[in-house]
Amino acid sequence: MRALSIAATGMQAQQTNVEVIANNLANMNTAGYKRQRAEFEDLLYQNIEQPGAQSSDTGTILPAGIQLGAGVRTAAVYRVSSQGDLKNTSNPYDLAIQGSGFFRIQMPDGTDAYTRAGSFGLSPDGQIVTDQGFTVAPGIAVPANALSVAVNAQGQVQASIPGQTAPQTLGQLELARFSNEAGLKALGGNLLAETQASGSPQSGVPGSAGYGTIQQGYLETANVNPVEEITALISAQRAYEMNSKVISAADNMMQMTARLGGG
Amino acid sequence: MDNALLVSLSHQLASYRAMDVISNNIANMSTPAFKREEAQFQQYVEQLPLAEGQTEPQTLTFVQDAGIARDMSMGQLTRTNAPLDIAINGKGYFEIQTANGPRYTRNGHFALDSQGRMVTADGDALMGDGGELTITPDDGDVHIAADGTVSGKLGQLGKLKVVDFADDSALTKEGASLYTTTQNAQPVENANIEQGTIETSNVQPVVEISHMLEVLRAYQATASLTQSQEDLMRQAINKLGSVQN
Repeated sequence: MRALSIAATGMQAQQTNVEVIANNLANMNTAGYKRQRAEFEDLLYQNIEQPGAQSSDTGTILPAGIQLGAGVRTAAVYRVSSQGDLKNTSNPYDLAIQGSGFFRIQMPDGTDAYTRAGSFGLSPDGQIVTDQGFTVAPGIAVPANALSVAVNAQGQVQASIPGQTAPQTLGQLELARFSNEAGLKALGGNLLAETQASGSPQSGVPGSAGYGTIQQGYLETANVNPVEEITALISAQRAYEMNSKVISAADNMMQMTARLGGG
Repeated sequence: MDNALLVSLSHQLASYRAMDVISNNIANMSTPAFKREEAQFQQYVEQLPLAEGQTEPQTLTFVQDAGIARDMSMGQLTRTNAPLDIAINGKGYFEIQTANGPRYTRNGHFALDSQGRMVTADGDALMGDGGELTITPDDGDVHIAADGTVSGKLGQLGKLKVVDFADDSALTKEGASLYTTTQNAQPVENANIEQGTIETSNVQPVVEISHMLEVLRAYQATASLTQSQEDLMRQAINKLGSVQN
């Protein structure tokens, strides 16, 4: 009886679907979060009678064969990398990327991570760092006596220093981009890492061709649309229910079989 | 002699088959471009040797599975707004280059790989008129026109290859939303492609659940037939076998 195991694959797939939706909803207010979608595909088929096989020696063929499917599987959970809305925070170290690209973050273990969540701050020694305290590449230090810090659309960081008329340039932020953004691996903490699937990063100055621009005082919100997610949740839940109905129907049939000959 | 039992058995086996097909449809309710299937049965007629005094031919009819019919109707098109989700509105298939040769699919969810090629969820390349389609980060947001032309900021990148077959119900399913066939692929001239859209499965849950109940009840009826047939035999054995004092 395949029906039992087939329906089980259906329930598993829908469970993954619900988990992905739950994660999207939970991250509705996470800066720079990109919503994910579960993608399904049918499992392999068992050929019992090949379509097109000859049904007589005069050359007539079977119009439809018998191919039994084995259920469904989750093919991929992919990130939808559309732009989130920009929210004004007025915090000088909140930076949003409008367009494509990622900030490069230097991890404590020496590797690089990438993020679009630009809620940065200063470390005790004046470096621009992430929420977790990791340095934003290339490592820009803000002097302690700076009155204000300005980041322009091209990613130049400038500070006004008391006693100086012209603002002092502190550094230049760079953006990284990938052939396949969806292939980046999520590390948690809004950070993503390069993988074989994403390809290697190419870096460039914000505002140059193919790179986004920087908006100071803004945060990119999650691109989760709650209405869409709730609708998806309802249909996933119904699909789960339907598959469980198949299990109970199959169970019912087997019960009847077992009862035969019971006297 | 146990003909009634064997006829019921053939129906019970057929019911299991029907149930397997229905459960596969329901499991694939959320698989893009999945086409629902239905088990088809036919009668298998057996001629019985004539007993003494019988003149009319005596036959016995069993149930046999004849094939599985695929419903090729189009699923609903739903908007996902993902730039690489594309749906064919109308007839046709995308061509996918796999390690085992070309395969065909209507599942229009694609992604990029590390070289920027448009690939399926399993990493097999989507074919355009001039081979694989490669999108570099410099192309920005790609636009896929209704006729399948893929273009980016720097100009045209290629055109999607949309093909069709003389008899698409004879395509063999291979799993992973792919079909394989020995038929020749014919290019579709006026393909209508929609970007940011995906074709959902054409499984209608209500229909499947009602079919499932139908199969379940039919199975129940046959099971009780088998049961009463068995009771009949038991009684006969008890009656005939009891020693008369």
